[in-house]
Amino acid sequence: MFRSYDGQLRLFLLPFLLGTAVLIVAPAVLTIGLAFTKYNSINTPTWVGLENFQNLLASPLARLSVRNSLLFLFMAVPLRLVGAVAIALLLSRPGRIYGPLRAGVYLPTIIPEGAYALIWLWILNPLYGPLNAVLGLLGLPTPDWLIQPGTAQLSFVLMSLFTIGEGIIVALVGLRTIPGVLYEAARVDGAGRWQAFWRITLPVLTPWLLLLTFRDLVVVLQNTFTPSFVMTYGGPYYATTFAPLLLFELAFDMFDFGGAAAFMVIMYVLTALLVVGIVNLVGLNQDADVA
Amino acid sequence: MWRKVGPAARVATGIAIAVLFILPLVWMITGSLRPTGLPPARTIEWWPSDPQLSNYAEIFDLLPMGRYIRNSLFVVVVAVPATLFTAALAGFGLSQLRQPWQQRLLIYTVILLMIPAPAVWLFRYQILSWLGLLSSLWALILPAFAAGSPLLVLLFYWTFRRTPASFFEAARVEGADAWTSWRRIAMPMARPTTAAVIVLAFALFWNDFTNPVLYLYRPDTYTLPVGIQILKQVDSTNWPLLLAGATLITLPMVFLFLVLQRQFLHDDALSELLDRG
Repeated sequence: MFRSYDGQLRLFLLPFLLGTAVLIVAPAVLTIGLAFTKYNSINTPTWVGLENFQNLLASPLARLSVRNSLLFLFMAVPLRLVGAVAIALLLSRPGRIYGPLRAGVYLPTIIPEGAYALIWLWILNPLYGPLNAVLGLLGLPTPDWLIQPGTAQLSFVLMSLFTIGEGIIVALVGLRTIPGVLYEAARVDGAGRWQAFWRITLPVLTPWLLLLTFRDLVVVLQNTFTPSFVMTYGGPYYATTFAPLLLFELAFDMFDFGGAAAFMVIMYVLTALLVVGIVNLVGLNQDADVA
Repeated sequence: MWRKVGPAARVATGIAIAVLFILPLVWMITGSLRPTGLPPARTIEWWPSDPQLSNYAEIFDLLPMGRYIRNSLFVVVVAVPATLFTAALAGFGLSQLRQPWQQRLLIYTVILLMIPAPAVWLFRYQILSWLGLLSSLWALILPAFAAGSPLLVLLFYWTFRRTPASFFEAARVEGADAWTSWRRIAMPMARPTTAAVIVLAFALFWNDFTNPVLYLYRPDTYTLPVGIQILKQVDSTNWPLLLAGATLITLPMVFLFLVLQRQFLHDDALSELLDRG
């Protein structure tokens, strides 16, 4: 009886475990092996050692793409995180009005990526787009957005700041785990709101924010694929050729699966370094009670 | 820090931010109603002077929309229930498992969450090609049988973990098997999570742009998000037409979200999500 109950539990987990092993883990791990071979997806892979990596390091486009990606991450991830926490703090109060407002800020997150790219292509249109119309009305400069390399990258950051629904929800849930007693005690001790935020809210939220940061490092970069594919195809002057687009071009345009895999490995390593860097910066002394 | 500015200012700030976030949607819809061929507005136009639905009709003339809609519907009709079913079962299994396996599988699931999607592109292409599923809608549906996304499994795990263990103990004493416990006790108590997972799963498959680009090569298998991009090749500066296309694929998603969001975004649901039994 007990054994059969546990057996059933294992059965419940089987599709998820088997499916993710075949569709996620195996592909991700085998990609590492592929990085040391020459492979065009048809012939048998042949071992070439570090040749793919040497080619990539020598390639100006690969280097530029890594630089673009890191620059984008450094701009987008902190802004998205601060935005999500600020909005969660603002909307965490109970009250009839806050439910619809939470739904409002979540909306851009569920717009289909393909539609989202088209919308922003229109919003950012330098001549007729609504963004420059608003900026012009306010007497502010009206840049050419997607036409200049610098502003094109800023446009991608701007677009990414509206799709932070997941982060807002995680921060909201995190905020609700803080017992009200803590704030009461702080108030009795004469702490101001600002102090309460730094001494109570932020420390309690830290594990949640770390989880969110790591997830965002992965998600925000992979989400550049659709806009860079639809809006700019990596231009102008390769300014929006972020890692996913270059990977796509290497693999599915040039059928250099080995080179694409090596590029993926380089991105794995860089992401891992970022994660380690952040952990060292924040210090993981609290044990993360998220899972 | 918000008390100083007062509740009214807090609500006003909240409304201003929500309006800002809805603005892209508003501009999409008003832009799609503008008659084509009209000279572009020189100032900001909140509502077109002569709103028309002709752009929507034109899309149906230009593209095989019937086929795209059928393909997209087929994908969500199969994939969303499959995702919900596998994710809810896996989440339940995870929440009831003994240590150390529960801990191990939790770590496995969190690691899955950190694997970037592009990391699987190359080999998934290989696997699909071996299975003969390239350029088939099943290439898009396949992940649904593995719970769609590890995040959905975790959402169910967090929910079921908060259901008091005594409920399941009692059912077990009365001879209920795991299947019955899941169906009769766990799922009825997980309404907000189920609503959230339905929205997220629908978004995963209905919105999907990347996987069709990677794995679908025959135009007759295109789903709506890819199909609509053909408008850009037909007439890349016809903004009302492009925005009408964007609106067409966005509205079903927004509609489903607005219907179900109350289940998990209003106060009771948020606190229910957190009540630790």
